[in-house]
Amino acid sequence: MDRATKQMRNIGISAHIDSGKTTLTERILFYCKKIHRIHEVKEKEGGGATMDYMELERERGITITSATTNVNWNAHSINIIDTPGHVDFTIEVERSLRVLDGAILVLCAVGGVQSQTLTVDKQLKRYRVPCLAFINKLDRAGANPFKVKDQINEKLGRRAALLQIPIGLEDKLQGVVDLIRMKAFYFDGSNGEVVREKDIPAELEDEAWRYREELLETASLFSDDLAEAILENRVTEEAVIKAIRKGTISREFTPIYLGSAYRNKGVQLLLDGVINFLPDPSEVENITLDLDQKEKQILLKADADAPCVSYAFKLEEGPYGQLTYIRIYQGSIRKSDELFNTRSKQKFKVGRVVRMHADHMEDIDGAMAGDIIALFGLDCASGDTICSPGLNYAMTSIYVPEPVISLAVEPVDRTSADHLAKALARFTKEDPTFRMYIDSESRQTIIQGMGELHLDVYLERMRREYRVEVMTGQPQVAYREAITARAHFDYVHKKQTGGAGQFARVTGYIEPFDGTFEFINEVKGGHIPREFIPSCDKGMRASLKKGQLIGSPVIGLRAVLTDGQFHPVDSSDIAFQLASQGALKQAYQKARPQILEPIMRVVAETPSEFAGNVFASLNRRRGIIISSIEDGVYSRIEAEVPLSEMFGYSTGLRSMTQGKAEFTMEFLKYTRVPANVAEQLMEGHRKKLEAEQKK
Amino acid sequence: MVKKTLSARSPIKILERNISGGLGSGNLAVFASRKGAGKTACLVQIALDRLLEEKPVIHVSYSSRVDYIISWYEEIFKNLATRDKLKSVMEIHDRVIRNRVIMNFRQEGMKTEQVLKSLEALLGPGNFKARTIIVDGFNFYLPCFEDLILFKKFASDHQLEFWFSCSLKGEDPLFDEEGFPIVLKDYLQAIDVIITLKHDDGRVKLNLIKDRNRMMSKKLRLQLDPQTLLLAGV
Repeated sequence: MDRATKQMRNIGISAHIDSGKTTLTERILFYCKKIHRIHEVKEKEGGGATMDYMELERERGITITSATTNVNWNAHSINIIDTPGHVDFTIEVERSLRVLDGAILVLCAVGGVQSQTLTVDKQLKRYRVPCLAFINKLDRAGANPFKVKDQINEKLGRRAALLQIPIGLEDKLQGVVDLIRMKAFYFDGSNGEVVREKDIPAELEDEAWRYREELLETASLFSDDLAEAILENRVTEEAVIKAIRKGTISREFTPIYLGSAYRNKGVQLLLDGVINFLPDPSEVENITLDLDQKEKQILLKADADAPCVSYAFKLEEGPYGQLTYIRIYQGSIRKSDELFNTRSKQKFKVGRVVRMHADHMEDIDGAMAGDIIALFGLDCASGDTICSPGLNYAMTSIYVPEPVISLAVEPVDRTSADHLAKALARFTKEDPTFRMYIDSESRQTIIQGMGELHLDVYLERMRREYRVEVMTGQPQVAYREAITARAHFDYVHKKQTGGAGQFARVTGYIEPFDGTFEFINEVKGGHIPREFIPSCDKGMRASLKKGQLIGSPVIGLRAVLTDGQFHPVDSSDIAFQLASQGALKQAYQKARPQILEPIMRVVAETPSEFAGNVFASLNRRRGIIISSIEDGVYSRIEAEVPLSEMFGYSTGLRSMTQGKAEFTMEFLKYTRVPANVAEQLMEGHRKKLEAEQKK
Repeated sequence: MVKKTLSARSPIKILERNISGGLGSGNLAVFASRKGAGKTACLVQIALDRLLEEKPVIHVSYSSRVDYIISWYEEIFKNLATRDKLKSVMEIHDRVIRNRVIMNFRQEGMKTEQVLKSLEALLGPGNFKARTIIVDGFNFYLPCFEDLILFKKFASDHQLEFWFSCSLKGEDPLFDEEGFPIVLKDYLQAIDVIITLKHDDGRVKLNLIKDRNRMMSKKLRLQLDPQTLLLAGV
């Protein structure tokens, strides 16, 4: 078992868009004999690269969701998780980074460290993922791997050294010199599948020794043995590999490989690097949260015999039903095992277990700690933790942020309407930050998410995957209302219109509360019979759905019922509900309500020369600048900006920085809108109500 | 109102009364001491004094991480709020954040021209109307007379006051017989006010060493509370 864990690697391939990530993945699959023909990413016929399996991704030439695939190289089993390069798909990125033990950071030999490389690099650092760098596209005009190496050191702040130097560059690229073995490698055959080892060309000897020295100097920082061996001039290949491995796994060193995936050069050596330098699952620390002990952190062991702890990181709707991708952190999963979903609290029996290769699959009996597999017919949502019965762990905190933006969608015809329901059911299951509901007044379907682009991607997926044509409204910011003072109510609901009358009286107060809503019953002496107390709670909740200022949900309110009155005949459930609604209406304006808006934490990264423009743009958008970190070349500016001001910011930011800046944003908190904005919102709401009344 | 009473009582005002009523725009002040004596605590209190009066402040740091600096502010603010029994703390806290920007210059050997350029970007296009700049972690052990002159010119061009910290390193003696930090000797022309922090009788006490053209060694009746790191009258 132990031996098998040692021969496992779970890696991701991270890169700036267009640095050749998918092409590289495609070559890896080919050399590992998983596919028998190489497809190019933007190929017209034959359907594009294998990993970009979603049609949308094929069309755009980018990867959005992360498929995973398993390959074998040198008796090692490698799971490749195709991570989305785009920063906006936070949940997707976070889930896939979670299950990685190592990564290949792909850089373009011409473009070098680009703005998005910085973002991807930061993600790798945040999730403590050890990585190798692969400088791709050495065949392109202007390729300069040495410059890119310096950028990795300077701009990314990594300690990195070349493991290879190129033999020729641009259209003269022939192969690479391996600085550990001190041999030249060429890649022959129509697809570069034959690796030929030769002596180093004489003209490259000096250069090779020079860069080897640089490599050894850095590597010796991680191994005293190697340092000693260098002094005594008895360096072995094994000692160098050991030192580099140690430095890489501790994330203190980044080995750099070179090649051109498109020209079939260098990929096999990179795969050797994955085996030699990236950690196996047992070398990575994984933490889970014990839900029975207030989310206390527990360290997991990559031990096949321990109780199972695994994480469902991706769902996929295939032609044969739902597929759930699972990373096993501890224990093992076998066919017909009994397992427990700690979110839904459901036990289930494992059916088919499969290993995935983009969209083909292979049936297996089971798998153990460290591996990534897929299960069939499992009813779960992505992000769920699956354990052996008896454990109640969660791999991620169960906290899911509230969506901050909403959009009305209307299917154009009946077929689209049918498919829309299906699409939404699946998306909401896959992504907890994506929600939908039907507006009770307009009867419109409203989708909600974490940002403009987040919703855009789902609209696009509806079109592509489900053939749903929809018309969309303007994106709406999810405002909230909240009270800021305590206010009393004393409300009588009375109706006498022949037949049974209605009577209920409620007395009490509402006050601000640090949560969504709380109802407290302090009625004494049976002034309101016990069976009507839940009716009061229900009535209050109903009126919180739409506040009186702009019709947004009310949050942060506690209602305390202190007294009341009933009538033995005329009081009823509905009478108390209506009385409570009236009471809230009565007290609401007195409780000084205000409108709250979502504030986003915006991080913009820009070459320092444009920092002034970025400061100004954030300032214009009612942003508060929190900090600015500068490293001499780039500035990273962090600010808090209302979401309503962020529409179209990506275009704005690009145009003011010659396309060199980029930003990410995430929901931070709700705060009060300034008085002038509140006025506008209330005016808009009034007009909307008037228009509806006229109808 | 709360803020006004708070400010009047503030030990920072005591400090300012001792330096001709305040540092004033166009001037540079330095808190000097060994590491860990409480320079950053003093700087943060200067900043908070301004922030509580709703005057924007830029905190420039050469070393610490942003979250570390923020936690300094949080800690000192919390202690201040408790000591002075502030009301509507959350609201005041929000305003403090609104008026503070932290700028972090990470790379060693970051050029002063570049730092000033960034400050200028924030003050100008960024429309951030700060009058007080806090500079923490500036290395006085590298030759920096020219840099200080640049800071001073910038201060007077933009009507700013600059408060620096200077960490004294190495073997004793760090001070000359008059109690003057030796490392600052070459920069007398550029620096207007120098205050040292020294352990005295188990407490960290503040001494005014230089005030404009006057060299002195005047014990300010101020010390740092060892628990809260708040400045307090002796």
